[in-house]
Amino acid sequence: MKTNNLQKRILAVSAIFVLSTTALIAAPSVATAAPVCSEKINLNLTPYQLYRECVGVTSDGAQYVVQLPLEQAFNGTLFLYTHGYRYPVDIPTLDYKVGKTPEPAPGRTVAEITEVATGILSKGHAVAGSGFTRKGWNADDALKTNVELIEMLRKEFPEIKKVIAWGSSLGAYITQGLSERNTKLISAAGLLCPAAGSVEAELKMAGDALWGIKAFLDPTIQGGNYKSVLQVYSDMGKISDALTTMLANITANAPFPAWPATSAAPAALKAAVPSRSAVVMIAAMSGVPTQSKSFDGTSGPGDVLTSFQFASGISPALGALQNLADAATLGVLATYDLERDSGGPVFDNTATDYAAQLGDTKREYASALSGSDATNAMLAYLAAYPRMKGDATAIAKMRTLLSHEGDFKVPTISLAATADNVTPAGNQQWLIDAAAAKKSKNLLALWQRTPSSYTKFSGATPVTPAGINGTGHCNTTVDQHLAIADLLAASSSGKSVNTKTVRKVIRAAGGITYDPTFTAPLLKFYQK
Amino acid sequence: MISLGRKKSVLAAVAVTSFALVASAVPANAVDGVSATEIKLGITVPQTGPAATGYNKVAPAMKAYFDYINASGGVYGRKIKLVIKDDGYKTQSAIDATNDLLLQDKVFALVGQLGTANHIAVASKVQLAKRGVPSLFLNTGFSEFADKSKYPTSFMHFPSYATEAKVLSTYIKDNFAGKKACLLAQADDFGDDAARGFATAGITFGETVRYVSGSQSSAAAAGWVQKFAGAKCEVVVTFSVTTATTVLLGAAAALKFAPQWILGSVGADPTTIRIASGNPQAAALLSNAISASWLPDAADTSDRFVKFFREVNAKYNNNVDFDANVMVGMNAGMLTVQALRAAGSNPTRQSLINAIETKGRTFVSAAFAPYGVSDSTHAGYTGFWIGKFNASGALSPVDTGRTIYVTDSAAGPVNKVAPKRAKLPAKGIPTNS
Repeated sequence: MKTNNLQKRILAVSAIFVLSTTALIAAPSVATAAPVCSEKINLNLTPYQLYRECVGVTSDGAQYVVQLPLEQAFNGTLFLYTHGYRYPVDIPTLDYKVGKTPEPAPGRTVAEITEVATGILSKGHAVAGSGFTRKGWNADDALKTNVELIEMLRKEFPEIKKVIAWGSSLGAYITQGLSERNTKLISAAGLLCPAAGSVEAELKMAGDALWGIKAFLDPTIQGGNYKSVLQVYSDMGKISDALTTMLANITANAPFPAWPATSAAPAALKAAVPSRSAVVMIAAMSGVPTQSKSFDGTSGPGDVLTSFQFASGISPALGALQNLADAATLGVLATYDLERDSGGPVFDNTATDYAAQLGDTKREYASALSGSDATNAMLAYLAAYPRMKGDATAIAKMRTLLSHEGDFKVPTISLAATADNVTPAGNQQWLIDAAAAKKSKNLLALWQRTPSSYTKFSGATPVTPAGINGTGHCNTTVDQHLAIADLLAASSSGKSVNTKTVRKVIRAAGGITYDPTFTAPLLKFYQK
Repeated sequence: MISLGRKKSVLAAVAVTSFALVASAVPANAVDGVSATEIKLGITVPQTGPAATGYNKVAPAMKAYFDYINASGGVYGRKIKLVIKDDGYKTQSAIDATNDLLLQDKVFALVGQLGTANHIAVASKVQLAKRGVPSLFLNTGFSEFADKSKYPTSFMHFPSYATEAKVLSTYIKDNFAGKKACLLAQADDFGDDAARGFATAGITFGETVRYVSGSQSSAAAAGWVQKFAGAKCEVVVTFSVTTATTVLLGAAAALKFAPQWILGSVGADPTTIRIASGNPQAAALLSNAISASWLPDAADTSDRFVKFFREVNAKYNNNVDFDANVMVGMNAGMLTVQALRAAGSNPTRQSLINAIETKGRTFVSAAFAPYGVSDSTHAGYTGFWIGKFNASGALSPVDTGRTIYVTDSAAGPVNKVAPKRAKLPAKGIPTNS
């Protein structure tokens, strides 16, 4: 099995967070009293589209951009977009530099952001977004920025009658916070690939995954309590090395791959348990999906038996490996970021019972975990492995950060992928459960489900094309984003949207399902 | 300050809190999968892949029985439609296929789901309990599925593996006391559940070999046999799937290792062994092996249920090779028809669940042991009879009275009772209510 492509993908960890938007907008670098506007023409549409683009800076120094159809074409509705998590520090190995460029619309690439913005403008709506001064977990600061921005834009552009807030990932988290705390400012909310609930819930998944990698693959990984960014870089390198080594080892001997030389697991465990099962254990106990961008858990190469064995035993390990690359990178950076803000270590697993947390998942993954004997051996090892101790004061401070009540005071549309590896489907399920508990009918939850099979092989080599619906983080197409925008515009009118309309709009976009009874497991943090 | 324009949005925001964001065109009292003329049920089973051998007969057999019932007017005038999805015996596929059954096919209930890991995954990931979806007559013996608090909408069909282990333990104590007994078991919930039963019964094994599901092969089986032979095992008990039993018996024959085999019912279907081995004569490997069964032997044409199911098989199931898997499918079908009847002429998912809990014990079936369901447990059948295979693969009772060993999955005693079975309804068509 050749894995060059996969290795590249895994090494290019979290490209989703690295999205550079410097080419998008040139905004003033200092605060200005009024936005600077110019007329623009979009030559990609027929007939050509004229719009105003205004840039400015809020009082915190955050650059923003707003694009409005020319007066006669503007219908008065503004879509305010909040982007997702951006690394708080430069990462030389990923060629990433902290930026502040505003993003007026969602998209996986700069071209898609432009396309979504253009599509919304063509419907007569305006778009806007901030670049935010602070990166990392910036929910509280970004919420304030957005409140100020909405008030400023309404003042500067009185023709804005209605604001629809939407955001992706952390941006969705911020949007829900805005919706709960500043209901009067917005008419509808869109939550794309949402993080939801509390920062602690998000951190737990990443923290558990990091600690699992440390325990099984490389004990020199620090996993938290970072004193400098150099320690962060060091951990990222070690994690990348460990995952890359695991990939090579599975490639060399899929049924019983070797353990990395860095692993401190006991020799008896290594002799009895294939290392691929440890990778599945890390994912399963932390709640990281095993379906990934390339591996579906249902397909395999070769004859009937080989295919079955790959799908049940090998694919979950490879999928977990691919997903862990993103989760662990986010874990390192988010941990560092939150520790800096809170004044000490914020992840604490001293009281975590990983056997209980794994729960019935060990039964679901019986083959991938190499049976109950191997599973029990791994759990016994984890039970005895040194834990991460958090600082009580720092944790208490972290818990004061923006969290959600689960209130839906404005029409809210949420879209999540069933195999999102960074903000798993359990986030959206938390929103659904919260709405049900409060008997709120203001939440429309939509899903991007994975196809039943998508891993493709050339011989024994996986060659799955990129962009599989339902996998990866915020892997949402332009058409899907525009469908959500259409539904948000319709719902913001104050009238109910008919199910037929919902189905018609999402059918046209493709890859979105609407079924109020669809249910996903909650994040481990919320599971009892 | 907020601009004047905000006031309108304030009003809009307040207004929408009083009604639904999405106005459903579906009547509030509509029940998925039930129309005036049809009840739609769903099942995911391995129709392809290595586990398809044998298991691929279960769903078509159930459908054949439903087709027979439909030809006689259906249930309260509704025809039963069974939607069959292939899961390849893979958990992720079972999850996906079950979601498709619920979201796209809009089935009323699931029936006959097969495989312990698959149903655990489906119950957890598809959240059957939270959605109130009944999952009837599971074709797995994992005893936890009887736990109503954990699986409130799932009902077992098979007796539990723990029950079977306790029954076999009693037989071993009665007949092979002093012999060195050894165990081959799958290293997952299948084998673990059985191990709990053996432990409860006080049986200890001189040698235990555990294999990981999917790892069974002729080479692996040769290693198992060498371990058993090296340990001088006189009785070898298996809790293995049929493919593992097949390679074990084949390896033992090749290595001339001939203990008294006691084969768990899951892996002892002669037809499947013939197919799995690719050897029409392979059933001879079973000769003299002891096994437990809760249904009559598929070859026993003197049994009125077997005779009836064979007739249905001939007319509605392309007369496929009649075996235990066909029996299982048809028996689940017969139970399902009675459950639907007991749920009334306007069934809901909850009324179906209530009906099984309150009336399930009275349902007629081919099984010799009582059906264990009640409003406090969702257990399946509660006992087995013990038989011995002949060279053609037929299983006959070891005793003339066909003693039934009845017990639970926990610490209850194993009671030996005479077989007692309700009469087959006229033409095999239930008329209960």
